[in-house]
Amino acid sequence: MALEHVAQGQSRFMTPGVAPDPRGVLLGRHCLLLFPTLEGVVSWLRLYSSEASLDELLSGFEIARVRTALHSREMVVRIPALSSYACDRAARLVKLVGGSIYTGTSKHFVKYRDERAPYGYDAVDIGALPGGAEFMLHGDDFSQAYTREGEVPIQRLLFRLTLRRIPGATRLGPDERAELVLAVAHGLGDGVIRYLWRNKVEAEIGLVTPGGGSAFDDPGADRSYLLFRVAHLPERILELFLGTPGIDVFRQVTANAAVAVGFAHPIELSSVGTLLPQTGYHLFWPGDRVDVVPAPLELSRISDLTRIDLELEAAEPQPVASATAVDPVGVPLRLAPALGSPRRVTATLVPLAQSAWLKRLIYLLPPSSLRGHRVAVTDRGVLITGSENVDIVPLGQLLSELSPGLLVPLGMDIVPRVSAEVLARALGHGSGVLTVFSHDGAPFQLSETSLVPLERRSLARMEIERAEVTDLSAEAVLDPSVVNDPVGRFALWGFPTAPDRKLLPSGDG
Amino acid sequence: MARPTVQSFLSRFVRPLVAGGEIHVGRPLTVEDVDAFDHELPHASVESEAVDDARAAVLAPLVCRVPPLLLERDDLALAAALHNTLFLVHPQADGVTITDKMRRRIIDMTQALATQPLTRRRPRVLGRHALLHNVFDLARTDLQLSWWTGRARFLGQQPPARLLRWKGVRRVREEVSRAGYDELLGASDVAPVMAMLLRRTPLTQVLSTHVAAPALHWEDAVFLLRDAELARLVAYHAVAPAAAAGAGALGGDGKELVATPARLAAAFEQMIERNPPAADVRAVAAFLVHLGALLVLGERGMREVGARSPLLSSVLAPERAGQRPRGLSTFFALPNALAVVEPRLAAPPGLLDDPVLARRWQVHRTQAAEAVGDAVIETLAQRLARHLGGQPVDPVAAVSLPGAPA
Repeated sequence: MALEHVAQGQSRFMTPGVAPDPRGVLLGRHCLLLFPTLEGVVSWLRLYSSEASLDELLSGFEIARVRTALHSREMVVRIPALSSYACDRAARLVKLVGGSIYTGTSKHFVKYRDERAPYGYDAVDIGALPGGAEFMLHGDDFSQAYTREGEVPIQRLLFRLTLRRIPGATRLGPDERAELVLAVAHGLGDGVIRYLWRNKVEAEIGLVTPGGGSAFDDPGADRSYLLFRVAHLPERILELFLGTPGIDVFRQVTANAAVAVGFAHPIELSSVGTLLPQTGYHLFWPGDRVDVVPAPLELSRISDLTRIDLELEAAEPQPVASATAVDPVGVPLRLAPALGSPRRVTATLVPLAQSAWLKRLIYLLPPSSLRGHRVAVTDRGVLITGSENVDIVPLGQLLSELSPGLLVPLGMDIVPRVSAEVLARALGHGSGVLTVFSHDGAPFQLSETSLVPLERRSLARMEIERAEVTDLSAEAVLDPSVVNDPVGRFALWGFPTAPDRKLLPSGDG
Repeated sequence: MARPTVQSFLSRFVRPLVAGGEIHVGRPLTVEDVDAFDHELPHASVESEAVDDARAAVLAPLVCRVPPLLLERDDLALAAALHNTLFLVHPQADGVTITDKMRRRIIDMTQALATQPLTRRRPRVLGRHALLHNVFDLARTDLQLSWWTGRARFLGQQPPARLLRWKGVRRVREEVSRAGYDELLGASDVAPVMAMLLRRTPLTQVLSTHVAAPALHWEDAVFLLRDAELARLVAYHAVAPAAAAGAGALGGDGKELVATPARLAAAFEQMIERNPPAADVRAVAAFLVHLGALLVLGERGMREVGARSPLLSSVLAPERAGQRPRGLSTFFALPNALAVVEPRLAAPPGLLDDPVLARRWQVHRTQAAEAVGDAVIETLAQRLARHLGGQPVDPVAAVSLPGAPA
């Protein structure tokens, strides 16, 4: 018998590094779980993660391949012995999957307590470790030394486990459908956005590129895809998406991990949150694929991404000369002779009837005037504005600028003489808009963008004929290049001999 | 293999030969083929007119009035001879199924085709030149293709597309090279055929040549010098290689400028070794002197009339005497030698009437005499005297021309 039962209240033990906990159960700093294969380890992790959080065990957690002196290989999981309660749960689950559990601190580990020894076991004889051994397990009727062969990082194990297909898991309840993640191929993005938008589904979208590509990937290959976060996806749309190639639906299991709908990770991911770095968002695909995209996800609303039809080629609408109705707050606005000094003429409104005169005048204008004037043709007349240092065309009704963009006939003022801001608000006047008061009719507004330089507007459309160019240069002479046509292997077979002719005399001298 | 038609022969071989482009070389042609071509020629008016138009375009820069050209049997035979000559460097003319006897038959057949009457008729001379003027510019694009497990060479042929696939994976490497006249038509077994062929078009041989081409026989070409327009064409072509060789011809040391005159003088050297008629020797000698006068004319604008000629200083430099092209010494020594043997030929008529030109001519003669040496002039004069019948006089008196302005 290599072990003896620990008695209640016992305080001295042969095994180094163990002590009774408050309940009197013998505990070292760690527990060692011994499994014959890696499948046992995974089964234990799966069971434990579904019952409790693995996060609390992860400080000091280690999975190692070990070897006995007879070269039989086993798997060992080292977990911190936080309390005898946690160890009890680990021990229960270890037995369930066919393993065994030991406790100790560094090199000697004794069997953890069971029904026969509620306070645990202590080793009877602690000897020196054989050469090369790293630790020794003391069981009921054996003491076995082990040598470490290697470590299996749990993070790598986590990312390499194949997702399990869960029958019927594609039918999600309303709570599960409250937040889903879609991975959509580029080509389908536009259609999915439109479809979700039409069906009034709230969604956000982002373009993500998974990190950690393979060295065998094509360097120019684009691995990015569209990631949607969808809220309250209707069941019929979910079924549609699940059946559409190019669209993969994921269920969010932690803040930074999502698993494909219809599948489940063997280990409860919510219990291993510390193994999933906050800097990445993990997408667990079926088929052993895990994409890590940069987190937090920066997504945009799909409502801002719906397609906009821009008709840049369409004809621009004619300058609008719509007169806005003056708000009848109190007294109507009127034009009255100005009291102050006369202002500079900045524009003129030429009646359409005088447009022929204007055309004739354009022939006489110097280039600076043509460049400096801007013109808009409205149904109320031709409005010509001049920039600084350009004299205005002496035609039509001359206008001066009362405030920026507000044009009144020269020598007139608007009464009542309210401030420019009040006037602008009353008229609906703002930047980019010209408001023109004239003697006849109501004031009208037009967009400043409808004014084009007179230089550009002045030319009528001309028919340009393209002249034919006759090339008088000599034809370029190519270099003669010999090309050998295929003649076959036996082309010369049967080639006749030359006729026996004498050289002809010089025929023509 | 089906017999080629005259239409395909004209459009795929003759027209590109004249106008440039891809010249397709296929199965060698026989005399019977050419006879059949001649028989079918009236039914190939489109193709033959295209060839004639191309020939007229070639001649248009050379003569004022291009004679009417009509493709004839001897033109077809000469083109077929060139075709067969090109076939001899076809990759399939040198395989395991081709024996020496077969090649000999092709060469014999080609010689039979090239055996056409020599001609001195101006239209026919021009027509043959237009047909074969590109013969020294013929080239072939060769491709050396290597990939990870092997290599192959394609001479004027396109490699199969499968050999060019997956260039990165199969590490396909292409090396393109150009084969010129010397590789295509300069081989020893085809040299007699080419000599025979080129003898049929003396204008081509006078106007252009290649280092690997047969030498010019002035006896065949001297009649060109008796046609004023053709003689002018040959002369201007000989001293204006800048048009063909680019700016380097005049911008360099002048070697390009005197290359053709030297070649023609070298042929003259060979001519006077034989027994040509004295009239022919006189004609060629006068022509070469005329070329020298054209070089003098090119220096008429020099600031100092009596300054030494930079051209002669460059091409006849003593330190480069060993690198002088063949015939160059003869070319510059000829006026001095003729002054000894036949003074009427020693200077072009009327040249000495212009005092500036006469001075430059004197400078040239003196400088040439210093550069080539009296021994060369004396030897040349003796050889000329054998043909011209004059008695040699003192060369020193010859180089100091009487009556020339100082």
